[in-house]
Amino acid sequence: MFLTVIGALNEGFLQTLRLFAVTLLGAIPLGLVISFGSMSRFTPLRWLSRTVVWIIRGTPLMLQLLVIFYVPGMVLESGSPWPGGESGRFLASAIAFIINYACYFSEIYRGGIQGVPTGQQEAGLVLGMTKSQIFFRVTLLQMIKRIVPPMANEIITLVKDTSIARIISLQEVIWAGYAFMKGSHGYSGLWWPLLFTGLYYLVFNGGLTLFFAWVERKLDYFK
Amino acid sequence: MKKNRIAASALALSLCLALAACSGGGAESPAPESTAPAGTTPVETTPAETASAESDLAYVRDKGTLVVGITEFEPMDYQDADGNWIGFDADMAKAFGESLGVDVEFQIIDWDNKIFELEGKTIDVVWNGMTLTDEVLSAMECSNAYCNNAQVVVVPADQADQYQDIDSLSGLTFAVESGSAGQQQAEENGFTYNEVLDQATALLEVSSGTSDAAIIDSLMAGAMVGEGTSYDNLTYTVTLNEEEGEQYGVGFRKGSDLCAALNEFFASSYADGTMMTIAETYGVQAAIIPQ
Repeated sequence: MFLTVIGALNEGFLQTLRLFAVTLLGAIPLGLVISFGSMSRFTPLRWLSRTVVWIIRGTPLMLQLLVIFYVPGMVLESGSPWPGGESGRFLASAIAFIINYACYFSEIYRGGIQGVPTGQQEAGLVLGMTKSQIFFRVTLLQMIKRIVPPMANEIITLVKDTSIARIISLQEVIWAGYAFMKGSHGYSGLWWPLLFTGLYYLVFNGGLTLFFAWVERKLDYFK
Repeated sequence: MKKNRIAASALALSLCLALAACSGGGAESPAPESTAPAGTTPVETTPAETASAESDLAYVRDKGTLVVGITEFEPMDYQDADGNWIGFDADMAKAFGESLGVDVEFQIIDWDNKIFELEGKTIDVVWNGMTLTDEVLSAMECSNAYCNNAQVVVVPADQADQYQDIDSLSGLTFAVESGSAGQQQAEENGFTYNEVLDQATALLEVSSGTSDAAIIDSLMAGAMVGEGTSYDNLTYTVTLNEEEGEQYGVGFRKGSDLCAALNEFFASSYADGTMMTIAETYGVQAAIIPQ
């Protein structure tokens, strides 16, 4: 029994990790684009990206998942645009999570970039560096150092937030745990697998915590 | 913080309005439709309704798959050791797909979202031992009833002798699945109850003592409670809606012509004996309603 449960939970946690990884891969660069938008001197663009950030941060992720997954099929004549089965649910979850986390990341980036003293940019300009040279050679690394603790915070939250995707029936690890209570793999009425999933999150987040401590040490040579 | 909260509530409100507008457009005047479930005579239907009614069978044939929304529910839809979906409903769904000439794909869904799933076209049918309640009938195009069910009271086995009739139940706190037929029974009988996520959680509540008793489907109680199950410390006693009873049906999108096709299929498979053969495989033959 234990092996069957562990097998099913592993499968669920693999889905959790997949969503986690895809979200990070998409949201880290997209967040940078949005943060540039929010700092743009072109007013309409600045307002657009700040409005997007307001809407996404101001509404529950659970609602965003429901809207992204179900509303297109209700509105479009051709039916739901999502692929059938688990892959469509994963794709919709990934898009919702990427947009949501990119908005949070963009604000962290903005804080990091604006926290670098403007005197350094002025010095760069005096030395004849271009804007992009100043960003990549002067600002970027200092910004990375500054944003590591808040990013670690968000990323650890993301690991646990992936469980929200069960609202559109993505079968991640919490879903797999619940399934044993309802009846799965020939067992029903088991409550311990659901509580056991906590161990998966705890171990994985333990690893992330060590990783970010290491990154902070590596970046210690600044300042 | 405060600003954020005001913004969120304003946005949530506008989202609600948008959703309401969408569903309003799709199913105009659901009341007259549910009183006349035959609904194939095109009397005074708006162009939008006619289009969606005509297209659903064609839509499913076009894409070549019928996506069946289920939850894991023994003995109706569950997996065998190799991971294939079996059960009375699952086998009937496969046979129905064959009669339409399309593949059948099973999709596990969150039961609370079944109407979202149908209207969002992420599934084509809800076929999972669904009790035909007023809510279900008004939100979906429902097939003829095919199976009898009842709501039973589940109590700890060692206290079962105290709870053998409805009067003895009045002091208890019940666990019921939110939005289920069991909740309807608890309301009608004036019981104190807690709403929980699903029927399995209701059983867990009784097992852990956080509720005194649960109200669940008799077919499910037969499969999940008593000797030889994980809940051998529980048993079921009183049947709450014995006289009026309740029936299982299959739900399609509002106005779908797949519903009439399924009713025809039920009639023919009952006539040639296939339906009863499948029912006997899963031990539900006594509950089947003649078609």
